[in-house]
Amino acid sequence: MKTAAITMFAAGLLAATALSGSAFAQSGPIKIGVVTPLSGTYTPIGQQVRWGLELAAKEINAAGGIAGRQVNLLFEDEEANPSVAVQKAEKLFQVEKVDFLTGTVNSGSTLAVAQLAERNAKLAATTVSFADSITTDKCSPNMFRVNARAEQQSVALAAWLAKEKPKAKVYYLGPDYEMGRSTVAAFKSSAEKGGAQSGGEVFAPLDSKDYTQYFGQIRATRPQVLYTSVAGNDTVRLLTQLQDFGLLSGLTVVGASGTVTSQNITAIGAAAEGFATGVGYSPQIDSPANKTFVAAFRAANKTDPDLYGADSYGLLFAYKAAVEKAGSTETDKVREALRGLSWQTPQGTKTIRAGDHQAMQPMYVVRVTKGKFDIIDNVSSENAIGPDACTRF
Amino acid sequence: MTPVDYLQFVLAPQVVNGLALGVAVVLVALGLTIIFGMLDVINMSHGEFYAIGAYAALALGAAGIGFWFLLVLVPILMIPLGMAVERLLIRPVFDTRDRHVTTLLVTFGLGLIVEDVLKIVFGANTQRPPTPIPGATEILGIILPNYRIFLILVGAAIVLGVAFVVYKTRLGAMVRAAAFDRNMAASLGVPVSLVYAGTFAFGVSLAGLAGVLLAPIYSVFPTMGRDFILLAFTVVIVGGMGSIWGAVVAGLLLTQVQALASLVISPVWTDPIVFGTMVAFLVFRPQGLFGRLGHA
Amino acid sequence: MHDRLTQSMRASHLLALLFVLAALGLAAMGAATGDTFYLRLGTEALIFAGLALSVDLLLGYSGALSLGQALYFGIGAYVSALTLMKLPSFWLAMAAAFLATLIASIIGGLIANRVRGVYFALITFGLAQVMAKVVYNTRELGASDGMIGIPVIEIGFGPFSVSAGSPVGFFLIVLAVIMGLYALTAYLLDTPFGRVLTALKANEKRVPFLGYSVWRARMAAYVLAGVIAGLSGALYPMLRGFVSPELMFFATSGNAVISVVLGGVGTLIGAIYGSVLLVILKSIIGSWTEHHLIVIGLLFMLCVMFLPRGLVGVVRPAIETWLSRRRPAPVAAADPADLPAIIAETARTSR
Repeated sequence: MKTAAITMFAAGLLAATALSGSAFAQSGPIKIGVVTPLSGTYTPIGQQVRWGLELAAKEINAAGGIAGRQVNLLFEDEEANPSVAVQKAEKLFQVEKVDFLTGTVNSGSTLAVAQLAERNAKLAATTVSFADSITTDKCSPNMFRVNARAEQQSVALAAWLAKEKPKAKVYYLGPDYEMGRSTVAAFKSSAEKGGAQSGGEVFAPLDSKDYTQYFGQIRATRPQVLYTSVAGNDTVRLLTQLQDFGLLSGLTVVGASGTVTSQNITAIGAAAEGFATGVGYSPQIDSPANKTFVAAFRAANKTDPDLYGADSYGLLFAYKAAVEKAGSTETDKVREALRGLSWQTPQGTKTIRAGDHQAMQPMYVVRVTKGKFDIIDNVSSENAIGPDACTRF
Repeated sequence: MTPVDYLQFVLAPQVVNGLALGVAVVLVALGLTIIFGMLDVINMSHGEFYAIGAYAALALGAAGIGFWFLLVLVPILMIPLGMAVERLLIRPVFDTRDRHVTTLLVTFGLGLIVEDVLKIVFGANTQRPPTPIPGATEILGIILPNYRIFLILVGAAIVLGVAFVVYKTRLGAMVRAAAFDRNMAASLGVPVSLVYAGTFAFGVSLAGLAGVLLAPIYSVFPTMGRDFILLAFTVVIVGGMGSIWGAVVAGLLLTQVQALASLVISPVWTDPIVFGTMVAFLVFRPQGLFGRLGHA
Repeated sequence: MHDRLTQSMRASHLLALLFVLAALGLAAMGAATGDTFYLRLGTEALIFAGLALSVDLLLGYSGALSLGQALYFGIGAYVSALTLMKLPSFWLAMAAAFLATLIASIIGGLIANRVRGVYFALITFGLAQVMAKVVYNTRELGASDGMIGIPVIEIGFGPFSVSAGSPVGFFLIVLAVIMGLYALTAYLLDTPFGRVLTALKANEKRVPFLGYSVWRARMAAYVLAGVIAGLSGALYPMLRGFVSPELMFFATSGNAVISVVLGGVGTLIGAIYGSVLLVILKSIIGSWTEHHLIVIGLLFMLCVMFLPRGLVGVVRPAIETWLSRRRPAPVAAADPADLPAIIAETARTSR
């Protein structure tokens, strides 16, 4: 219903723009395209992205918009498929003439959209993809990332682990694809710098039905800590099956930020208790800004924001700050304004590093206690960020 | 790791866990093989019926109906649904020249719709009913959750029950007769049209039952129907279409192959191995392990 | 001599001509308004039309439903992408994709053609799934992220050249390639090979008695379909500048099947119309609601049940009547496209 209203509103605006010619566009609303999965496996993440952006747009518009112009969000379903993402993004760039684009979730889509943004001389940002490559070896002058990347997450988690369980024996279980493997490798190297030992590692196929086949190996190595980078439904199965087999007692389970989220935590239930992860956001962050944000988000969507919702919410304020600083929505000027920009988010101050377009932000270690993510440790943004490895610009 | 450790912690649990997964696969494949074997209809939406069963259990469970009652209630509720689908979608294309392809396409379209409807009604997030029988039992150092033991026993009971109905009762004989020669059966007084609808509904009902039983282990989400479907089709082909014993043997065999192979090679390659087994069967023994129901 | 098949093929050709004229009109309009998006969307629709064409060649003519045709589309796309990154030559990329899919479809055909019917569907489905999984896990091929950075190429024709970045220019090139593939397929189906194929779909057991090798005809159709899918796939990275494993996933194969059913099974040109229709539908419905699966699924089901020859099946009889009035055909009407059914029927009654 909300979509229909937005699209109808957009259609009306489009007609208005067409009628009054191009001069109107400069003073009319600022259009932001959102290409995000609204169907298929990644729908829950796309929902959070949408809710976060919608809330931010509502607040910005109520306060007078960006440089006096209203913000208008245009949503397209990318089905978590890069081919669809690129097609929809091109539509938004070429037909709707959006000023800015965001929303992609899987890193394949983000990389493909970054290239498209370059070829269309427009800017885009991701609020979800955490593959390091997006702001390292495959960085793009037209792509920004306002969420924490894999390395920031694993540095924070490993630092906590070294304090909490010094020299722990860690068993690694990742989903068997490039992203899962690199996340495990990143955490493993961070953890081993902190003195952890490896008990072994195994990679299970994506969408595994049953993880019990790996439990024997896990039991035989008797690890104190299990690290996993599975996500979504896979986590539900892994953790509940571990619980069914009585393996959770005496085992500390830690994982990637996408492993346990607000989408799957109710399904996991008690099996999520004690799970710890390094993450850029938690609804429990004790700051006035966050409390206001969580209350507003809950009122609008009947659920808590998670890191995707919060990072997406924060993005619009970065864009607002950049456009107002640049005094224009032109690509080059906004890019310059975004580089090095510091702005306030519910997560604290974020700063976009000019060298690789990666946001630096304070990182938190959160642990599930009674179904909520309690913050148990934090790492300053400088200590978590890691070196700038982007050489393209 | 010592050999004893390996046996106790790795090999033996692997075999036992493979058995539980095998029972799950057999439960999903059972309805598929019956529809396939008796009606010669490829039900691509079988996975979605499995999902409907799981969601029904979830929703009714949340409304306060106990798990034990759901085990009976959900399969019964699935019967009119199956009948309706057979009447409205299968019957009109039943006599087309290429029934396999046409029914496959129609049910493929149905699957797309059901998946989206489930998402609209129940939301996109993963959900999970509580495990009806919590706790785990340790036998000779092998830990086995109580619910999985229950699943293996119930699975065996269901298979035996279905086999009894199909092979030993008058009703089963009518169904098999209708599958073997429709005109002959009709002339002997078998209500062929009703038998077809009933058989389809029975298969759908079994998928729903599998959904109720497996939801606590494998969780519930709109795309869950795709989970077992390739494996279930493989089981049906390897076992011989329509053969209940074939589905059982193939289901248990393939999951054991998967479980044991994953000990020595990267688990990612277990899917290609299972698929390779299917190809080998299609090439060397296309009738499957047991041949076709009602035909052998 | 004009028999029923020729007659219905001629109707298809007329529809193909209409299609090309409409496409050229669109290109002219696009060029005049300076449009980029719709031309490029149209180009993509044409590329996927090539894939649908190959599905229809198998389904409509040899009666084999492939649920994994995206496999060859993906191989073509990846090989083309790899070639273009080494050496940005259109012709080299097409040649490489041709060779790769030729070899791949011979291997795939040796496996898949041992079985028929639903088994064939499941084997092709499985082959594509396994191969997609391999690509998904191969770091050298970009793994799950796919590969970006495929250059925008200049396509040379002797002294002239067209940039793949030019929306109109590349649209016309893709139009030429896809319609060329259509013409080639239509031509081959009109040769004795094509007749054997059609006869096979009608009654497999009878064909060997006529002295033809069933296996060889089927294999030829499979390899031809694989190569058509591969050449279409090779155009994809030229348009979009990237490839990803999703190109090989079931969604891609499934969309091709949906296109064929919407457009009309066994009409060849229907696959092309269907593909364009599907892209338009998805684009419109997709912006209107995220529940596009329901709408597409429903349309698809209705088509399978009530329009077994799709949209083309609705308009073609009228064209055939019109054509036969202009140049009477020796064999009277009935449904000309149902020759296979007639063969099958005679075979059944004579059994």
